[in-house]
Amino acid sequence: MLGFSARTISNILFWVTRKKWLILSFLLSLSFFYVPTPEGLTSSGHRVLIIVLVALILIITESIPLPAVAILIIIMQVILGIVSADQVASSFMSDAVFFIMGSLMLAVAIVSQGLDKRLALIVINLTGNKTWRIALGFMLISAILSSFIGEHTVGAMMLPVALTLIRNAGLKLNKATNLSTLLLFSIAYGCAIGSIGTPSGGGRNIIMIGYLSEFGIAKISYLEWMKYAYPLLLIEIPIASVILWYTFTPTKRIMDSSVRKLKVKVAKNGSLSSDQILAIIIFLFIFLGWIFLSPYVGLGIIALCGVFLYLSFGLIEWQQINKNTNWAVVLLFGAAISLGIQMKETGTAFWLAGKTLDYLQLLFQDLEIVRWFTSVVITGLLTNLLSSTATVAVLGPIILDMGGNPVSIGIMTSIASAFSYLTVVASPTCMIIHSTGLITSSDYLKAGWKLFIISIILLFLITKLYWPLIS
Amino acid sequence: MKILIAISSKEFSGPTLDVGMNISRALNATTTIVDVGEKINELSTKDISIANELMDAWNINRPGMDVLEWAYYYLIQNNFIIKEDSQRSFQDFILDESVSNRTEIHLDGAKIKKINLILRNGDIINELREEVKIYNYDLTIIGSSSKRNLAHDFIQYIESSILIVNNFNLKKQYRILLAVNGSKGTLKTIKYGVRVAQAFNIEITLLTVSKNGHLGEKYKNAINRAKKMLRRCSINSSFILEKGDPVKKIIDVAKDDHIIIMGASNQSPLAKFFTGSKPLNVVEKSKCPILIVK
Repeated sequence: MLGFSARTISNILFWVTRKKWLILSFLLSLSFFYVPTPEGLTSSGHRVLIIVLVALILIITESIPLPAVAILIIIMQVILGIVSADQVASSFMSDAVFFIMGSLMLAVAIVSQGLDKRLALIVINLTGNKTWRIALGFMLISAILSSFIGEHTVGAMMLPVALTLIRNAGLKLNKATNLSTLLLFSIAYGCAIGSIGTPSGGGRNIIMIGYLSEFGIAKISYLEWMKYAYPLLLIEIPIASVILWYTFTPTKRIMDSSVRKLKVKVAKNGSLSSDQILAIIIFLFIFLGWIFLSPYVGLGIIALCGVFLYLSFGLIEWQQINKNTNWAVVLLFGAAISLGIQMKETGTAFWLAGKTLDYLQLLFQDLEIVRWFTSVVITGLLTNLLSSTATVAVLGPIILDMGGNPVSIGIMTSIASAFSYLTVVASPTCMIIHSTGLITSSDYLKAGWKLFIISIILLFLITKLYWPLIS
Repeated sequence: MKILIAISSKEFSGPTLDVGMNISRALNATTTIVDVGEKINELSTKDISIANELMDAWNINRPGMDVLEWAYYYLIQNNFIIKEDSQRSFQDFILDESVSNRTEIHLDGAKIKKINLILRNGDIINELREEVKIYNYDLTIIGSSSKRNLAHDFIQYIESSILIVNNFNLKKQYRILLAVNGSKGTLKTIKYGVRVAQAFNIEITLLTVSKNGHLGEKYKNAINRAKKMLRRCSINSSFILEKGDPVKKIIDVAKDDHIIIMGASNQSPLAKFFTGSKPLNVVEKSKCPILIVK
């Protein structure tokens, strides 16, 4: 047919069926291009909107690799004549992207120090052998660590500890039990709750801080962020722990022999090596730098200082960093932030914010509630569909243009994007525990919806009762 | 000869592995057993691989490895793996991750040339298609799936011959139903039929279906050839000539005690895509294993 062999046609068909979303988004963008610009929107704003639409479709459906989506966002900005190549390049790189890149590299450096065994010992010594205390301990340690070094790293480090305990308890690692579900969710939800605590808890916090400063709204320091968010983290942990316990109550209430075996296994490793001590000291320095120096040099630069130190002290090889750093994430968020900046500058964000307010006002009347609903509920739901960082990158500029107090709305949005309890794709930690095969998609809903609602209520209370006191 | 056997879990893949390994043994083929795990969200791939590396250090099986471990012990039990190797525990084998998204464990086989165990993650059609394309398998063996689209995609996009192990019972005495027509590929189909019959030492039912009861020259030649070949290989066989709709007749004759072997459709890929094909219809409606020869 048409001179093509059957195999070629079959290859083309395969490509078309696999890439239907790419083709659809191409056709959509083409037809939107010829639709008259909506009232109130500038012509370049119209074109930015097309890019947002295409990017969202491609990120959700994953029909092409994510780095390709990132590159497409960059290319389209220039081809559609929104900005020049140099302008895209400069909006692509910022301290926020430095930070995301630096913290991903730091995470790789920290994980490869073999501190996970040490961590296991700390958890166990802290909790003893009662199952409820172990679950609470897992959640607490995951939350506190992830608030400083990022959720996905902690998730990866805690996973083998939990699986070893489960195996030591005589349970098979290919069959889910309440105990396995409880421990794994304690890690995942602990990491999610922890990630709100400080700017370094998750890339999305940094994106929000980046937007706030880029749009000239406010400069939020590391400590200020903690003042807003950390109390919520501390309140949420015991509540989440109780919810998980009553949703997945295990039959085994004491894990005596299991804990003992773990201790024996970990004890073989001996005491901390000098490299490990050095690695911890460097991280403490970075942490202090974030607190005291970031207002002057930026969070990203301090993260990069950390990477520099780890590399130059020989604590990690570049090959290792190169292999385990997710460069797709760096590219994608760089591109998303640059798109966010165009959304702001071309007025697309303002236009979208206005439309959202108009429609939602029909539903709620009160403007205050509309803003709150968008920044918390819509963000929370989108997070569970899209992944949290992408949500903040796209929603951020719109939400900051909705009026009200942009600082508190911005931080609220970032916090709500951590309510990634409902689906596998919501956060890397959710994906990590799902990949063990012990957690099914429906498990996420079982405890997730309760946590989702309670988190929203807690956030509401804290923004109404506590934030006015500190701002 | 290279054979790819796709398994998914201990619960459902027993028959697939049984049939696959026996065919492999009979044909003295190089065999790869693959488990395709769930697709990992791209934002999380590196985090998962970091978690996997840590799990290795704690001596915990990576996700998906338990299925391969089960397959490994199956291979030992059924003497597919030589003794020295089988004394080693599964965790001792070195994982080869040089190809991205493809973790490989090399095992040396006793009765067949070589067995590989591999783990992939992603969309099952994508992964199997890529595996077949890069490593040139002659035959892909998979369990059945209730999803119509999946069966369609397997048949349409996997470029090797395909055996779908549908509803297979080890204890049952099967015959082979060899569908012969006048198409170009029918000779290859007959050869496959002979090899499988020899492998399992079972009888063949030759079936030819004519839409109007009239047999053309090509059909007659193919039938004679098949009969001759079966005689030469001393395989017991019977011949049935039916009139009517080929799909319906094949299913009627096969009931649930035949392994159906038929050639792939000669229609253009576009026609198959929109209207389906005979093999696809047979796969959807029959209650027995079916081998589609490409």
